[in-house]
Amino acid sequence: MGLGSIASRALRSNTLRPGHTNLLRRSIVTTTELRNAEAAQAQPETPPPDLPPRTPVAGARVHFPNPEDAIEVFVDGYPVKIPKGMTVLQACEIAGVDIPRFCYHSRLSIAGNCRMCLVEVEKSPKPVASCAMPALPGMKIKTDTPLAKKAREGVMEFLLMNHPLDCPICDQGGECDLQDQSMAFGSDRGRFTETKRSVVDKNLGPLVKTVMTRCIQCTRCVRFATEIAGVQDLGMLGRGSGEEIGTYVEKLMTSELSGNVIDICPVGALTSKPFAFKARNWELKGTESIDVTDAVGSNIRIDSRGPEVMRVVPRLNEDINEEWISDKTRFFYDGLKRQRLNDPMIRGPDGRFKAVSWRDALAVVAEVIHQVKADEIVGVAGKLSDAESMMALKDFLNKMGSNNVLCEGNGPNPNADLRSGYIMNTSISGLENADVFLLVGTQPRVEAAMVNARIRKTVRATQAKVGYVGPATDLNYDHEHLGTGPQTLSEIAKGSHPFSSTLMNAKNPCIIVGAGIFERDDKDAIFSVVEAIAERAKAVRPDWNGMNVLLLNAAQAAALDLGLVPESDKGIESSKFIYLMGADDVNLEKIPEDAFVVYQGHHGDRSVYRANVILPASAFSEKEGTYVNTEGCAQTTVPAVPTVGDARDDWKIVRALSEVAGVILPYDSLSAIRSRMKTVAPNLVNVDEREPATFSYSLKPESQQKISTTPFKAAVENFYMTDPITRASKVMAQCSALLSKK
Amino acid sequence: MAGVVRNALKSIREKGLRNFFGELKEEGYLKCLLDGNLLQTKMQNIGATLVGIDKFGNKYYEKFGDTQYGRHRWVEYASKDRYNASQVPPEWHGWLHFITDHTGDELLLLKPSRYGVEHRENLSGEGDEYIYHSKGHSLNPGQRDWTRYQPWKPTKA
Amino acid sequence: MLARLASQRLREIRQVIRQIPQTTRSLSTALNYHLDSPDNNPNNPWEFTEANKTKVKEILSHYPSNYKQSAVIPLLDLAQQQHGGWLPVSAMNEVAKIIEVAPIRVYEVATFYSMFNRTKVGKYHLLVCGTTPCMIRGSREIEEALLKHLGVKRNEVTKDGLFSVGEMECMGCCVNAPMITVADYSNGSEGYTYNYYEDLTPEKAVEIVEAFRRGEKPPRGTQNPKRINSGPEGGNTTLLGEPKPPPCRDLDAC
Repeated sequence: MGLGSIASRALRSNTLRPGHTNLLRRSIVTTTELRNAEAAQAQPETPPPDLPPRTPVAGARVHFPNPEDAIEVFVDGYPVKIPKGMTVLQACEIAGVDIPRFCYHSRLSIAGNCRMCLVEVEKSPKPVASCAMPALPGMKIKTDTPLAKKAREGVMEFLLMNHPLDCPICDQGGECDLQDQSMAFGSDRGRFTETKRSVVDKNLGPLVKTVMTRCIQCTRCVRFATEIAGVQDLGMLGRGSGEEIGTYVEKLMTSELSGNVIDICPVGALTSKPFAFKARNWELKGTESIDVTDAVGSNIRIDSRGPEVMRVVPRLNEDINEEWISDKTRFFYDGLKRQRLNDPMIRGPDGRFKAVSWRDALAVVAEVIHQVKADEIVGVAGKLSDAESMMALKDFLNKMGSNNVLCEGNGPNPNADLRSGYIMNTSISGLENADVFLLVGTQPRVEAAMVNARIRKTVRATQAKVGYVGPATDLNYDHEHLGTGPQTLSEIAKGSHPFSSTLMNAKNPCIIVGAGIFERDDKDAIFSVVEAIAERAKAVRPDWNGMNVLLLNAAQAAALDLGLVPESDKGIESSKFIYLMGADDVNLEKIPEDAFVVYQGHHGDRSVYRANVILPASAFSEKEGTYVNTEGCAQTTVPAVPTVGDARDDWKIVRALSEVAGVILPYDSLSAIRSRMKTVAPNLVNVDEREPATFSYSLKPESQQKISTTPFKAAVENFYMTDPITRASKVMAQCSALLSKK
Repeated sequence: MAGVVRNALKSIREKGLRNFFGELKEEGYLKCLLDGNLLQTKMQNIGATLVGIDKFGNKYYEKFGDTQYGRHRWVEYASKDRYNASQVPPEWHGWLHFITDHTGDELLLLKPSRYGVEHRENLSGEGDEYIYHSKGHSLNPGQRDWTRYQPWKPTKA
Repeated sequence: MLARLASQRLREIRQVIRQIPQTTRSLSTALNYHLDSPDNNPNNPWEFTEANKTKVKEILSHYPSNYKQSAVIPLLDLAQQQHGGWLPVSAMNEVAKIIEVAPIRVYEVATFYSMFNRTKVGKYHLLVCGTTPCMIRGSREIEEALLKHLGVKRNEVTKDGLFSVGEMECMGCCVNAPMITVADYSNGSEGYTYNYYEDLTPEKAVEIVEAFRRGEKPPRGTQNPKRINSGPEGGNTTLLGEPKPPPCRDLDAC
């Protein structure tokens, strides 16, 4: 909560009751005022009939699961209708009153131990902790009476007693709940003269920095670790004033969501280690963008200072990432500053790279591309490519006469015809309605941590059952390991496996197939087995579509939407000219010795060492690009920082190259290329909207493949290093070093 | 006042007129004629106790009795022409501002040796060479190379 | 002269600064975090004895099978008795395994309650009551006498490993204040006793310690021979006659 909202609340409540002038005065409640309080309460409280409608705090939504269960409560005399079972604090939020709080978090269980949310309830002898008190019909809640104010002030004084006043050297300074709320609700002085307590700092690994003396024991981090991250490492140790958060036995937080404790910590006890002492939050410019490290497309805010990305924080999106992001998303940004390609380079005859001008580099590429046969040209789009650049690449190579354009990760013969065959049809938020999950060759914990958090949430809330087929792994929820290979799937499809009855009896079964299967030769056979299972379990119905594919990379869905499908399986092996657009995970061994390789990308990662020409491009934080996430929701990134050196946007490079090569692409602006994309895949321009697939797999022709017995492989070996940016990041390197040590 | 004149005459007799005026000049008595603040300080100094002298040569006086309580401590700066409050070192600040009754000499004994940079007066407005410029500033002599990214270097092949 | 004056003033200043109370953690015997040591680290194997395993089963049978974690306190207590009065981290891990919760949930409980010792204590752990009534009746002198006699600091174990002195809050024996409790871990969980010794004087407290050292078990309860349990010294002084029957209305009248 910002000071602005507090101020506006004070103003609003003043306009509500013009007679009550001391509302604007935030003073210490003196005893005389307390004595007057009774007199103030004695005034007949007749709210004026034309109360202006109040806006709920932070867009709080009321959802009535059962209209009969609505009850009415009065917040500061203003009546609100809320569903039964809501707490007083939620009722106040809907009434537009922001109650100060530390321990309460809407996505965690209620602890009620900070006591900051005290409000006065009529006929209650004491102030009530609103976060833990269910609202009852007809309750009269008062949030700005002298009693409530004095209670908050007292709580605040106690909280500040053992809190070091080191805001000037604290990284949370400026975005600290304790700072804001002590300004708004605290006293202007304390009476504590004794020495403050100090607590030993804990080592939670390379991501989270701890200054435990600042901790106010709200236990949000403990609840987050237990409930959402699923690692029961943190706990509340000791009692009384010696109470502290810790792991007791020294232990690192081994969760892929551990960075989120930085956001939920209301004080500076848990802060970001890579960001420590780097910048103040008011110096940062926030740019609302999209994460590209996995296929979830988590909504992020890139905080930059000048030309430098300083940190990444999550943005609220209930449908995709709620308010969490994975550690990879949060901490990979230092990779954006290392190993960058900033000049076009050409490999000379001596095998050394020489920096050249764009004109020369493009001229060389254009010359070579005209010398090879059309069907020897192959284009490969990388994991992080945006839809615009893939469109331009495909158009360019098509104009050159080649139709061998593919996107890495999609396998040799992807199915791009039926959209339902490669997106998550249930949608990420829809996973919460499922009651049985079947994970086929996918480990969501490392492939898409946010999807895993959703599944965990569902498992915790509804005891949904999870069956898993693939190499043994540690998913952080109860699951049944059914088998390692495709034969287990056949058993389930035939009904001979014990899990198949669970699946048949499920109301909303949900099958998630990992995109690692795309690389397998018996991909179509596996899909037809999975479809048979879906058929038997009635997973695809008009009201429920439980047939999902969990993609791995940010570019995959858009590539398939745009039809980046290679014409022949042997594209790379028989090529003479390969255009790698940020593709660093292609098998470089397969590229023929005499092939001419153009690498266009932002990091000197793997493929540059095989390249003949390097064209520097801008990273996702520096360009505007459209990405489609695994559930088929198109989202755009926005440039947060200027690009480095001579690098240019990917699609602009391809456009320039097309001009030099004499096959001019007909678009010069972003809007022009987007309207071109619209003709190919209209869903790509429906930004921030999930476009469900229209046709289901039933239209697919029968597969003639034989299912093999090779067990499924883990698609992601190292969670922290999956793409050029994360591989360049030092923080990610530290994390994966710890991961491998474990 | 008479005593002051007697003292002055006595020192003229002892040191000679030339030396006496030289000392007067050094002590800033001539500047007094143009600087009212200094003149007033000098006048207050008559009959006051010299409590201490800090390492910069600032003199700290105290006088009870006919001075108003709360104005009974003051400093005569070592520099007679260009003085300002930031020339008072931290150990004397507390005494001078009635925060503590311990004099700067006493507090200096408590100063831990492992930290504490030497006190410097605030030189704002005295020219660029005196001002602190942050690390990236072009006027900072130890200006670092602030390349914001590390480019890839074609080492292999 | 000036130097002497300065040093005198300096002493005064130091004194003022020293007056700030030193906060010592006296309630618990250990820190709130674990430090590995040879006799206390997670790699040390730890198991309940066969006899105690049946006790564990018995304790678990008190709780519904889906609320095994309710048994955490009795199990920790049993583990502590078995392990000579303190809980090494591996014992807590074992308890966590039995009740099927994450180890941290057991650590939380063990650090919360001051009667769970997480560092070594003596075979006889003497706990001096420090709450107001006992304090007024001289518990501080008793503690001082014990510490002096044993030559240890609070929560420190004597060299022979027999005794340690700790502090407890009110144990409900205020009528016989001052008192100490002796937790006797010398015979494992079978011979475990937890006895109160009341109406002490510093001399009597030392006598009790010496009796324990000789291997005796001094009689528990009040150490004042003139008192019976919590009765008054030298027999009753009031309520000596037969109690009067309660006044009752004449039942025959109606």
